[in-house]
Amino acid sequence: MKTILFIGLVSWLGLAGTAVGGVTILPEAIHLDGAEGRQTLLVQVLEGDVYAGAVSKVKWKSSDAAVAEVREGAVIAKANGKATLTAESASGRATREVTVSGFNGDFAWSFNRHILPILTRQGCNMGACHGAVAGKGEFRLSLRGYDPPRDFYTMTRQAKGRRIEMGAPARSLLLTKPTMATPHKGGKRLDVKSREYRILSQWIAAGAEAPDAEAPAITHIEVSPELSVLKKGDRQRLLVTAFYEDGSRLDVTDWAKFASADETIALVDEDGGVEIIGNGEGAVSALYSSKVSLARFRSPFPNRISDDVFSKATRANFVDDLVLAQLKELQLMPSGRSSDEDFIRRAFLDTIGTMPSLAETTAFLADGDPGKRAKLIDLLLKRDEFVDYWAYRWSDVFLVNGQLLRPDAVKSYYEWVRAGVAANLPWDEMARQVVTAKGGSLENGETNFYAVHQDPETMAENVSQAFLSLSIGCAKCHDHPLEKWTNDQYYAFANIFSRVRAKGWGGDARNGDGVRTLYVEPRGDLMQPRTGKPQKPAPLDGEVIDPSSTEDRREALADWLTDPKNPFFARSISNRVWAAYFGRGLVDPVDDLRASNPASNGPLLDALSSHLIESEFDLKTLMRTILMSETYQRSSEVLSENRDDTKYYSRYYPRRLMAEVLHDAITDVTVTPAVFDKVALNDGSFQDTKFYEEGTRALELYDSAVKSYFLKTFGRNERQITCECERSNQPSMIQVLHLANGDTLNDKLSRKDGVIDEMLKAKMSDEKLVEVAYLKTLARRPNQRESRALVGMMTGLKPEERRIAMEDLFWGLMTSREFLFQH
Amino acid sequence: MFDFLNEDSGPLCGSKRSRREFLTVGALGPIGLSLPQFLNAKQKGHMKGDDTKSCIMIFNLGGPSHIDLWDMKPDAPSEIRGPFKPIRTKSNAFEVSEILPMHAKVADKFSLIRSCHHDGAAVHDAGWQIMQTGRRFTGGVETPHAGAVASYLMESRNDLPPFVVLPELMGRGGGNLPNGQAGGFLGKSQDPFSLMADPSKPDFKVPDLLPPDQFGASRLDRRRKMRNIVDQTVKAFEESEDARLLDEHFHSAFRLMTSEKARAAFDLSQEPDSVRERYGMNRVGQCMLLSRRLIESGVRFVTVNTFLTVFNELSWDIHGSKPFISVKQMQELVAPMYDRAYSALLEDLHQRGMLDDVMVVGVSEFGRTPKINPAGGRDHWPQCFTCSFAGGGVKGGEVVGKSDPIGGFPAERPVEPGDIVATIFHALGFDLETHLPGPSGRPFPIVDFGKEPVKELFA
Repeated sequence: MKTILFIGLVSWLGLAGTAVGGVTILPEAIHLDGAEGRQTLLVQVLEGDVYAGAVSKVKWKSSDAAVAEVREGAVIAKANGKATLTAESASGRATREVTVSGFNGDFAWSFNRHILPILTRQGCNMGACHGAVAGKGEFRLSLRGYDPPRDFYTMTRQAKGRRIEMGAPARSLLLTKPTMATPHKGGKRLDVKSREYRILSQWIAAGAEAPDAEAPAITHIEVSPELSVLKKGDRQRLLVTAFYEDGSRLDVTDWAKFASADETIALVDEDGGVEIIGNGEGAVSALYSSKVSLARFRSPFPNRISDDVFSKATRANFVDDLVLAQLKELQLMPSGRSSDEDFIRRAFLDTIGTMPSLAETTAFLADGDPGKRAKLIDLLLKRDEFVDYWAYRWSDVFLVNGQLLRPDAVKSYYEWVRAGVAANLPWDEMARQVVTAKGGSLENGETNFYAVHQDPETMAENVSQAFLSLSIGCAKCHDHPLEKWTNDQYYAFANIFSRVRAKGWGGDARNGDGVRTLYVEPRGDLMQPRTGKPQKPAPLDGEVIDPSSTEDRREALADWLTDPKNPFFARSISNRVWAAYFGRGLVDPVDDLRASNPASNGPLLDALSSHLIESEFDLKTLMRTILMSETYQRSSEVLSENRDDTKYYSRYYPRRLMAEVLHDAITDVTVTPAVFDKVALNDGSFQDTKFYEEGTRALELYDSAVKSYFLKTFGRNERQITCECERSNQPSMIQVLHLANGDTLNDKLSRKDGVIDEMLKAKMSDEKLVEVAYLKTLARRPNQRESRALVGMMTGLKPEERRIAMEDLFWGLMTSREFLFQH
Repeated sequence: MFDFLNEDSGPLCGSKRSRREFLTVGALGPIGLSLPQFLNAKQKGHMKGDDTKSCIMIFNLGGPSHIDLWDMKPDAPSEIRGPFKPIRTKSNAFEVSEILPMHAKVADKFSLIRSCHHDGAAVHDAGWQIMQTGRRFTGGVETPHAGAVASYLMESRNDLPPFVVLPELMGRGGGNLPNGQAGGFLGKSQDPFSLMADPSKPDFKVPDLLPPDQFGASRLDRRRKMRNIVDQTVKAFEESEDARLLDEHFHSAFRLMTSEKARAAFDLSQEPDSVRERYGMNRVGQCMLLSRRLIESGVRFVTVNTFLTVFNELSWDIHGSKPFISVKQMQELVAPMYDRAYSALLEDLHQRGMLDDVMVVGVSEFGRTPKINPAGGRDHWPQCFTCSFAGGGVKGGEVVGKSDPIGGFPAERPVEPGDIVATIFHALGFDLETHLPGPSGRPFPIVDFGKEPVKELFA
C-alpha cells in the first residue's frame, strides 16, 4: 500500500508563525508529507485580527532550502526536516515554520485525488467538451468527474488503450491532445512545462493506477481566509484545503473552481484571485470534488457613522441586534421609525393582505397608548383575513391549480391548506401531512400533492423545492455542477417515493371526477439509471432507510425533514416568511437556498430558524417577532448614508402590492364586489365555476386558474411549478394602462352606491371629502399643500360635476405610488 | 445567482479567458472614455447606431428540430433522418423540409446558419437567456436582451415604446431561470412593452389603450393633475427602482394614449383581410403582421414569441410524450402555421421595400437530438441547431456553417449566441466596442470580447 500524498496543517497553535509589521503568512501551520509535499502560500495584511487583503510583491527566503523552498508562491518539500520561511514585502515581514516528513517514503499519484481534479480543472470534462452526454470526438467523460470508475475505464481501456502509453507517457493521447502535439478541437488546455502535465505523465508512467474504492473519501473542503474585510478596489487571494476521512488534508487551491455569489461586490478569476468592486457583503464559493465552501468578503460603505448611532438605537428583539451589528460593520445608517400612518397600512397589508378601514385607521391614529403597535400586531394575527392571506400564499407553494387538478380536488386541496392555517398548525406538521399523505383526494386534500406530482423524481424534486428551497433537478442526470448534491443522492431521495401509487383519476385536468386514492405498496424500487440498480433510499444527506422494510419510507423522510437538526427546513420557511414581510428574502431568491447562495445576513437567518425551532414551528410566533422588530418598523425614508443599501435592511424597501392584495384593496376602497365565474383550462378555453359568490375577494380564491385579467396582468403566481419566481410584483406599462383606462378601477369608481355615493350622501365639506378619501386609500390625512390644491379643484362644482371630480380624486389617489406600493 | 448550469465558453470548448483578462480587454480603456464621458457621447449620438435600421427577432419557443426542418439528413439512417423529405427551394445553396413548402418559395430572401450551438444546459430557460442576451447569467448579473440594448442605445423614435414583445413575455420553462426577455442590468425601464393580448382574436385591441369614451381631454388633464399632487409626497420612491419605473410607465402610457399615430400602429383592422389571411389567422401569423406594422411606425426592436410555454400547449418541443407535443402535431399544426407566417413576413417586407432596413432573425433555445427517442419524438439538443437570417443587409439564399452528417455537432464554422447577437448589433449599425453602464458602474461591452458578427451573411 503506497502512501497517498497529503499536506497537513497539523496544528493551529504549536507551529503558529509570528507576524511582524501587520502581515502574516497563511496557512497558519505547514506540514509537508512525502516527496510531492506542496502548499500554496498567502501573505496577508492584518488589521487588528482581520484579514485585509493579499500582499502582492513578496520576496521569500527559506532558512534551509535543502528542506523546503518556495517556488511560484508555493512551498515544496526537498528533504525531511524543519525550515523557517520568511516573507518580505513593502507591507512588512512575516515568518512561518515548515516541517517536512515522509520524504523518502513510497508515493503515487491518485486517480481520485489528483488525476480527475486536474482534468476537471483544465475543463476536459465540462459540459461543452468531453463531459457532454455524448462526449466529444468519441471520448466521453462524466460531467466534472462524478463517475470515477467509468472515467478510468474510458481513459485507460477504450480506444484500444491508445489514450495512455505506459512505456512512453508523452505519446499518450491524454497528453498529446491537450498540449496540441496532435490536433485537438478543444485547443490547448495544458502546458508541457506545467506541474499538471508532470503529474499526469508520472501517473501514466507508474502504471496508471485505478481509483481505489477503499481510499479515504473526502469529507469537506475549507477556504481561507474565511472572512476578509476589504475596500473597493482591493484584491485578495484564497487557499482551498480538502479534508479526508483518515484526517489527511490536501492543498487543492490549484484545482478548485471558483464563483462569485454577487458580481456587483466581488469578482473572482479562475485561480481564486478576488477583486472587490462594490460595497456590502460578497462571497466566493470554491467547488472541489462535489464539496462546496464559501469565503466571505466585507466591503464597508464609504460612510463614517458614529458608534453611538448603533449603541443608542432602539432594539425590540434579536432581529434588531443582528441587523444593527451588520449595519455597523457595513457603515450603513438605519432610517428612523415609520410613522403610525405608514405602520398601520404596512402591518395590515403584510400580515392580512388587507387595507385598514377608515374606522381602524382613525382609531389607531388617535390611540395614545405607547403599546398600540404591539396591540395591533396581536389583533392582526387573530383576524379571519390572516387565514385567507396565508392560505393563499401557501397555496402558491403547494400548487393549488385548476389547470392541474379537477375542480373538486382543487377545493379539497385548498381546504386542507386553509384548515391548517386556521388551526395555526405548526409548519413541521403541515410538511409531515403533505409528505406522508394517503387516502382519497376529496377527503384528504393533501394527497393532491401527489396528483400534481406523479412520478418519484418529480415528487422528490418538489418536496425539496417546497420545504427545503433546494433545486435538486440538476442532480438527476449528473452530480450538481456547483453544489454538493450528487447523482446518487438524487436517486436515493427519489427512491423514497417509488412505492407511492394511486387508483382513480389519472391526471387529465379537463376530464374526469378528480377522485383518486393514494396508497403505498410494501415493495418496489426506483432504478438508478447509471448503475441499473436501485439506489438505497435516503433523504438527501440523511441516513439510509432499510430497503427491505415494508413500511412507508415517507415516514422516515418526514422525520428527517422536520428534525430540528435539518439545516434547511427551518431556514427555508423562516426565509419565506421574512421575504413575505420585507419583499426580499435574506436568501434571495427564496427558492434557492444553495450553500453557494448565502444569506445577506447569515447570523440573522440562523437566529430566525433557531427561534422558529424553539417555538415548535409556530409561524405566528415568528411573524410576531418580525413585526415587533424596529427593523420591520423602520421608515422607508432614504438617508444619504443608506441610499445604496438594497439588502441589509437599513430601511424598509418600498414594493408594489401583490396582485391579489391590490385587487382587494381596490374593491374594498370602492365598496364594489368582484365577480369570479370562470376557470381557465390548459388548452386556453374556460369553464364556468360556481365556487365563488359575488363579493369573493381575490385572496379567497382557491385557484390560480380563475379567470382574471387584472390578476394575470399584475403578476399572480400561476402555480405551474413550485417557485415563488412565478409571481411578479414588477410594474409594467400594461398595468398602468389598465389602471388608467381599464374597467377595474373606472367601473368601480363610477358605479352607483359605491364609495363615492356613500360619501356624498354624508354631506361633507370639500375639505372633509378630501381628508376621508386620503384616509381610506392611504391611511393618512392630506398635508396642507395637498389639501389646498385638491380642494381648490373641487370648489364651486355643480352636484353632478362634483361626483365626477370625486371619481377623479379617487383615481388620482389610487393610481399614485403611495397607494400601489407598500412603503 | 450562480452560474451553476453552465461552463466556460469558447469556440467549441476552445480557449478559456480569465475574468481578469476579460476586464482588461473589455474595459472602456480601448476607446478611451470614462463612464460620464460615455454617457455624454451617447447623448451626442456617437453610439446610437443607424437610425434607419430595426430588427424583428422571432423566437421559436420549444426548440425546433433542425433535422426535420432546415438541416435535413436524407442520407442518414432512418432513426436520424426522420419521416420527412427535403424539397428544392429558390436557393441553389439549400433545401428545406417538405413541411415548409412556403419557405422554399422565399428561400432567396433568407439564409441559414446550420452550425449554431451553445454550451448552456439543455433546459429551455437556459437557452432562452443565452440566445436572447448572447450570454449566460453569472454571479447575480442579468445581461440585457438584444432588444433592450437597442432600446437603450437608440431610444424611442416617437411615442411608441422602442422595444416590444408580442404577444406577451415568455412563460416558465421548467428550469427556474430568468428567461432573458428583459432589460437586465440596464434596468427595468429597458424592459420590453409586452402586449398581453392575442392579435388573432376578432375583438383584438391593445388592452386599455384608450380612456373610456366619455372622458374628454379636460377630464384626463384633471386626473393627471390630481395624481401629481398626491404622488409628490413620499420621497422614498425616488430611490426605489420599481417606484421610479412605475412613474416612467405613467408618462409613457399617457404619451401612447394621446398619440393617434402610436395607437394606429397597433390597429390590425387597418390591414386588408387578404393581407391578414396571407399571414394566417392565428396568433403566430397575426403577431408577425403586427411586428411589421410596429416597425413601420417606428418601433426599433420587436420580439415575436411564436409560443409562450412548452407545457400543455403547442410549441416546437416535440418530445413525443405529454405534456409536450408530437412530431405529428408539428407536421400538422406548428410547422404550417410558422411556414405561412414567416414567408408572409419576408414577402411583405420585401414588397414594401423594408427588407434592406429590417433584419429578421429566427432563433430558438436549441435544436433537437439527432436520434429519435422511444416516444417517436426528439429531445433537447443545444450542441447544434439552425438559425435563420433575412434582411438588414443579409444576402438571401445562402448557408453559413455546416453540421456533421447526423446534425449532432457543427462540422464547420461554429457560431455561438454571442456571435448571433453581434450580428444583430452589426445590422443595427452599432460599434461592437460600445460599452454599457454595467452593474456597480462597471463598463460592460455590448458583446463579450471575441464575439463577431457572422460577416459571411452580409452582401
